[in-house]
Amino acid sequence: MASIDRRDFLKLVGAGGVGTGAGFMLREAIKHPVENLVPYPVPPEDFSPGIATWYNTVCSMCSAGCGITVRTREGRAKKIEGNPSHPVSQGRLCARGQAGLQVLYNPDRVTTPLQQTGERGSGDWLPLTWTEGLSQISGRLGELRSSGQGGAVCLLSEGQRGHMHGLFEQFMANIGSDRLVYYDYDHPHPLLAAMNRLFGTSELPYFDLGNTDYLVSFGADYLGSWLSPVHHGLGFGRSRQGRDHHRGRFVQIEPRMTLSGAAADEWIAAIPGTEGIIALAMANRIVSQGGYQGDDADAWAAALEPYSADAVAEQTGVAAETIARVADTFAGTGPSLAIGGDGAGRHSNGVDALTAITALNYLAGNLGIEGGLIFNPEPVAGQGAAARHASYRSMLELAEDAREGRIQVLIVNQANPVFTMPAAAGIGEALARIPLIVSLSSFMDETTAMADLILPSHTYLEAWGDDFPEPGVGFRAGAISQPVVSPLYDTRDTGDTLLAVAAAVNPDGALTAATTEEYLREQWRAIFERDAPTEEGTAQAQEAIAAETVEAAAEVVAQAAPEDDAAADAPANAEAAVAQVAPAEGAVATNPDPAGWMPDAFDEFWNSLLRAGVWGENTRAEQGPVTVDASVIDAIGVDAPEFAGSSETYPFILQPYLSLNMHDGSGANLPWMQELPDPLTSVVYGSWLEINPETARELGLRDGDLVDVESPQGTISVPVLTFPAIMPNVVAMPVGQGHSEFGRYASGRGANPIEILAPQVEPETGSLAWNATRVRLNPTGRRANLVRTSGLSRDLGRGIIQTTATGEAEEHASTKLRSIPITVEPA
Amino acid sequence: MPSDARPQELTYADVNRDVVRSLVETGSKYYITLACSIGVMLTCFFFPWFYQLYYGIGAAGVNHPSVWGTYLASFIFWIGLSHSGTLLSCVLHITNSEWRKAMYRSAEAMTLFSLCVAAMMVMVHVGRPWFIHWAVPYPNQMEMWPNFRSPLMFDVMAITTYLTGSTIFIYMGSIPDFAAVRDRTTGWRHHMYVVLSLGWRGTDLEWHRLRWAYTFLAVLIIPLAVSVHSIVSWDFALSIVPALHQTIFAPYFVVGAIYSGTAGIVTVMYFLRKYMNFEQYITKVHFDNLGKLLLVLSLIWTYINIVELFTGWYGGTSGEIEALRYRLFGYYAPLYWEMILFCAVAPLLMISKRFRTSFVPMLILSILINIGMYTERFLIVGTSLSRQYLPDAWGLYVPSLVELSIIVGSVAMFITLFLIFVKIFPSVSIYEVKETLPEPEPDTTTGEPEWQPTH
Amino acid sequence: MSFIDDFLASWREYREPGYYDGFDYHWTMSVDLDRCTGCGACITACQAENNIPIVGEDAIARGREMQWIRIEKYWEGEFPDVKLRFIPMLCQHCDAAPCETVCPVSATYHNQDGLNAQVYNRCIGTRSCAVYCPYEVRYFNYNNHHWDAPLEQQLNPDVSVREKGVMEKCSFCIQRIRQAKDVAKDEGRRVQDGDVQPACVQTCPTEALVFGDQNDPDSRVSQTMNDERAYHVLEELNTAPSVVYLRKVETDAV
Ligand SMILES: Nc1nc2c(c(=O)[nH]1)N[C@H]1C(S)=C(S)[C@@H](COP(=O)(O)OP(=O)(O)OC[C@H]3O[C@@H](n4cnc5c(=O)[nH]c(N)nc54)[C@H](O)[C@@H]3O)O[C@H]1N2
Ligand SMILES: Nc1nc2c(c(=O)[nH]1)N[C@H]1C(S)=C(S)[C@@H](COP(=O)(O)OP(=O)(O)OC[C@H]3O[C@@H](n4cnc5c(=O)[nH]c(N)nc54)[C@H](O)[C@@H]3O)O[C@H]1N2
Ligand code: SF4
Ligand code: SF4
Ligand code: SF4
Ligand code: SF4
Ligand code: SF4
Repeated sequence: MASIDRRDFLKLVGAGGVGTGAGFMLREAIKHPVENLVPYPVPPEDFSPGIATWYNTVCSMCSAGCGITVRTREGRAKKIEGNPSHPVSQGRLCARGQAGLQVLYNPDRVTTPLQQTGERGSGDWLPLTWTEGLSQISGRLGELRSSGQGGAVCLLSEGQRGHMHGLFEQFMANIGSDRLVYYDYDHPHPLLAAMNRLFGTSELPYFDLGNTDYLVSFGADYLGSWLSPVHHGLGFGRSRQGRDHHRGRFVQIEPRMTLSGAAADEWIAAIPGTEGIIALAMANRIVSQGGYQGDDADAWAAALEPYSADAVAEQTGVAAETIARVADTFAGTGPSLAIGGDGAGRHSNGVDALTAITALNYLAGNLGIEGGLIFNPEPVAGQGAAARHASYRSMLELAEDAREGRIQVLIVNQANPVFTMPAAAGIGEALARIPLIVSLSSFMDETTAMADLILPSHTYLEAWGDDFPEPGVGFRAGAISQPVVSPLYDTRDTGDTLLAVAAAVNPDGALTAATTEEYLREQWRAIFERDAPTEEGTAQAQEAIAAETVEAAAEVVAQAAPEDDAAADAPANAEAAVAQVAPAEGAVATNPDPAGWMPDAFDEFWNSLLRAGVWGENTRAEQGPVTVDASVIDAIGVDAPEFAGSSETYPFILQPYLSLNMHDGSGANLPWMQELPDPLTSVVYGSWLEINPETARELGLRDGDLVDVESPQGTISVPVLTFPAIMPNVVAMPVGQGHSEFGRYASGRGANPIEILAPQVEPETGSLAWNATRVRLNPTGRRANLVRTSGLSRDLGRGIIQTTATGEAEEHASTKLRSIPITVEPA
Repeated sequence: MPSDARPQELTYADVNRDVVRSLVETGSKYYITLACSIGVMLTCFFFPWFYQLYYGIGAAGVNHPSVWGTYLASFIFWIGLSHSGTLLSCVLHITNSEWRKAMYRSAEAMTLFSLCVAAMMVMVHVGRPWFIHWAVPYPNQMEMWPNFRSPLMFDVMAITTYLTGSTIFIYMGSIPDFAAVRDRTTGWRHHMYVVLSLGWRGTDLEWHRLRWAYTFLAVLIIPLAVSVHSIVSWDFALSIVPALHQTIFAPYFVVGAIYSGTAGIVTVMYFLRKYMNFEQYITKVHFDNLGKLLLVLSLIWTYINIVELFTGWYGGTSGEIEALRYRLFGYYAPLYWEMILFCAVAPLLMISKRFRTSFVPMLILSILINIGMYTERFLIVGTSLSRQYLPDAWGLYVPSLVELSIIVGSVAMFITLFLIFVKIFPSVSIYEVKETLPEPEPDTTTGEPEWQPTH
Repeated sequence: MSFIDDFLASWREYREPGYYDGFDYHWTMSVDLDRCTGCGACITACQAENNIPIVGEDAIARGREMQWIRIEKYWEGEFPDVKLRFIPMLCQHCDAAPCETVCPVSATYHNQDGLNAQVYNRCIGTRSCAVYCPYEVRYFNYNNHHWDAPLEQQLNPDVSVREKGVMEKCSFCIQRIRQAKDVAKDEGRRVQDGDVQPACVQTCPTEALVFGDQNDPDSRVSQTMNDERAYHVLEELNTAPSVVYLRKVETDAV
């Protein structure tokens, strides 16, 4: 071995050290490009590190319009909670409302404007700047407008309310088009038509569940997906156990048990589409037993004559005694309430059925009273929005126009008809004929995937807006949506995009606001000025706002929460209380010194509005007597439902119901919603077809067997799941899965039952009769992975969920906190 | 003791020669076997384990509610296997059974190594083995102290005590033999045995002390061994899981442990006899006696199983009945009936003396018994956890490939340890075997070793 | 004999129900089964509040769901006379918690507020506590979980994210309790009824859940505990739960 002397050694060590160091630095330099250290010595004003800031805004995960309050830390939204002052949510939220954060932070958001460079649907997207994107669309719209073809522009949006509807309308007026189309799969066309027919009102009524003593629901999943689940949940809880010694009872009539059916005291299985007939039989019973004494009793008796309980028993599958008993209790209990939902309304006889069901409230004297059906005042803003809501039939017309070349530009905003319309409608193919499709959606859904240009919008937690909930709560109420975080990406407020386009296309138009916020302020100033006198103001008057605001807000909540549980929701400290409390309009209107106001007070008002997130009156208008037109009474009647497909070839009626988690599919891209077990089946991450266990046994099907569900319109493959509470000739399937686009959590998962629905419509409204398709099941012999979180859903007599009967309270008092032995026979 | 237990034709010199040869004469067969077993241990135990350390316990099939799986079953199995070695050796020592003398050393080694493998199974079982020392009471700056109410804590105590006791016991009993080997080896081996024999010279005083201490330890270890498996059973019995919360568990586990341990001894004896040329030391007598013992144990074990079923049925709560039903007829039922066949029915063959004295049938039976006993441990964990109080939370547990591999690897680990042992420890006790032989003529030769290294 | 007397006295005190009444607070939840509709809002609220990971379809298929509160469902009867009942199941914060005795390293223990606390850092992952818990409400981290960016921005900074090998479960939203106690302390008072609501209670649309201090006789939760409908699930196991269920009222045909 060569000898190394001390010098050599030192040299070697030196060289080695330098080499290692240089190598290391080189490697580090390659690994991490130099990042600038950005100091953050002065944090933004509105937060202190480590301390949460709460912002009030509005949930837009469904159309209920719950007020929410979002907890932010260091500028990031952390948690959504119900706004305790908002009359709809009263501090509560549903699961989807909670999951709104995953809309904001969804990894699959469209983060920047994109242009389709390949063929449509090819997914070859090229990012571009907003300037480029806006000029593209403005240029095209400008051309069309100046050549008088403005009418060839269509704006297809999810439903808008309040002043945002006004903005959309004005935008279209600016472009010179009347093609403003709102499309929501579950827009309650039939219910609105029924309300209109019976009472001549165009508002949805307020169903006062919280004070009712006896509710009969005909296929309305009011706790799951129907209209305003959170508010209904509040009412349900309060009616049941929120009132002293006074427990409301709930009956559910439907072919397949929904969440509301499970919660009901009595669940009655009825043949699909016969709900209205049952209602008429109940009406018949009430009238014939003298339960209704109105002037028009004879007219009712005549109209209802064919619908005796005995006559309809076989057709409806409900025993005559049951109908009679429910009818008697309904008429004999006050206040009672009958509601009809999508189960009854989405049939060929939907409007007739809902008319019949709603009429029960008239006969039982439940109109305009606490615990009954309360009429809503006309909303403060957003009039005319209802007329814009497209039914299935009007969507077909739109498709036809597209095919005929009458639409040159389609602007899509968060609507996804390609997913929520049956394949039979051919909407995708029709839209493809439109020369330019621009999407304002935040996600790459099926419709957006067809776009040529995407100008992505903010999510609702980053955007401005306002909302007047529908159905309302019986008095005027509204709320402001405000950004709770600064935008995560290079996206824009939908309103800002429209304003920018409008300004570019038609600078002389009526839309002058630069931003949505500014636009909203203008609109709210109008409300403020209409309600508040405008003379000289005093500081004293301003103080009054604050004081009265708190008081009045408490009243708003109290109004909606009669057995006031709201005390428990009161914010912990006074400061929070101000921030969460409603500056009720009543407070402004009842100002003791009207002369003390000046216009500048608007800023005060606006700020307190943003702080509180909610605005409203605190009194319900007195309801005068309601009469139903004689012609309506004479015409009352419900035909047998019609189904697509013959019962021989297609033995099962398919019930595609709105999923609690995914709703109409818009929740499918939220991992929390994919992971939330379906309440009735415990399935996660997939689709399933519910089938009666007896029927499954006859067909030799087991849970998880993959079947082809074939309708006259097409076939989808789904695993079957035996479901103890569904009629033997009915199969049910949740809507929401089966996306081909829509991000990593949704796409390629499960199947979409809407796809195979027959184009059956309710004739009056033209809305899709989505419960009216028959199917047959073709076993594939394959098995599918049906992932469920539950083990055995039978308690084997272990007394895990204990029950008691009303009136036996004393007996149970003695068993309280005593050992209850688990002794049962082996299963 | 029957006098035919003694290897008749042997002399002291033969014993020395045979035993020392087993230590120093190593054929290629040995190396191949050792290499194979080390290879299997590395690929089937350590590799999957490292993967599991990286990925998390999710590499195993455990889930909610079956959070325990084969690792814990293996742990009980190895603890059980450890039972017969030292325990049996102590009992037989105290009762002065002469037939014990040829086999006790390897039996004790079994104890030691199964305890080591069991300890490894604990490491594999826990979610964060890198913090396992937190279960040991030691003063630390975090002011953390283990929870002495926990049966798992009792486990740690009992097993370390048992391991310490067994180690001292086997070591102490081997000192004279180390000395004997020391005097007959050269080179590094000699140096090693110089250290291991602790300067043993074989004076009367030394012999006297050895005997006294040895007997003392033997008496001490018997209750210790009984307590170890009782305590292991408490991991389960102190829970309130239906079918685990049973008073019979302690004796059940102890009997099961001795049962599987004794079967293990039979297996080991067979291979020692066959491959280490101990035909003259380990004879039919040993197999016959072990067979009788096994038979008795199998009957007791069967009885306890019947009692267990009875208490479940008699308890009558939904939980117990369901656990019972599930065990007998549920998903894992084939395993249950396999266990009954191997552990309760097949051992009845040992009623026949011919069977007991046939080597290969005894080997097969002993292996079957241990397969059955492993199954028993698996079922205790598997069936009970998947059927607890809340049916909605019921689940199913199926071991993953990683787990199965680790089971195989742990057997290889045991074999590896044993293979190393037989080359260091005289696996048949030289001095105790000699005690059973006639005294030789006084040695008049030069004192040369009877046996010379062949190199 | 005084040593033995002391021992017996401590033992009796420990076993005596009401032992925890001596502590500052005794947090308790009541669940009104007559109100609960099984809607699952509480599940998502808890996931959002407590940084509970999204485990994915495969993990759930393998029985590794992670939801500190789950809704158990039980069917009764057959079609058409069939009922479906729900029960929210979460850690019962047992005063005689079997999970606490078995943990070899005291990673789960009873704190001075009557909570069954879980110290993630201390846990070595034996999973024994999950076996000993008869309510099956302990969830284990079988592996490390990750959040697809930017979902991690939602994580609650007041709650730690758990790593593989660690047991976790409902904490009664201890971070909220702590915050309420801090505020109360600053203001020189006790925490009052309504000051603190766990995420699940806060969101429940039907107001089925009520949370509060059992030591305060006027709290809403104390009142619900005196309700004639009150019972404990698996009461025969004597775990002395701090979650009280109110029996579901079932009237026959009305
Ligand atoms: N919650 C919590 N609080 C703590 C501690 C804890 O562990 N937890 N630890 C405590 C301890 S030990 C300490 S030392 C303190 C430290 O508390 P601080 O001294 O506040 O330390 P930092 O927050 O690290 O840095 C303060 C600011 O300096 C900025 N900064 C970084 N480099 C530069 C620079 O070159 N020039 C200028 N002008 N600004 C720069 C950073 O962006 C940051 O905004 O915190 C104490 N407070
Ligand atoms: N990334 C990053 N590194 C930093 C800094 C930074 O800002 N960022 N800041 C630097 C500075 S300024 C400092 S002072 C150091 C601080 O560094 P460390 O001294 O490591 O500080 P911590 O991590 O706050 O606390 C160490 C441990 O003490 C435990 N502990 C808390 N209370 C007690 C107790 O009463 N008894 C015992 N035994 N343990 C207790 C905690 O649980 C924790 O595990 O970090 C330095 N390093
Ligand atoms: S009901 Fe609709 S608006 Fe209300 S929280 Fe749920 S998703 Fe949001
Ligand atoms: S949120 Fe309330 S009603 Fe819904 S499942 Fe949970 S406890 Fe029941
Ligand atoms: S419910 Fe389970 S985890 Fe919670 S304290 Fe009781 S035993 Fe422990
Ligand atoms: S899993 Fe953790 S908390 Fe549970 S017993 Fe083991 S160490 Fe204790
Ligand atoms: S109390 Fe908190 S931690 Fe427990 S279930 Fe409710 S939200 Fe989750």
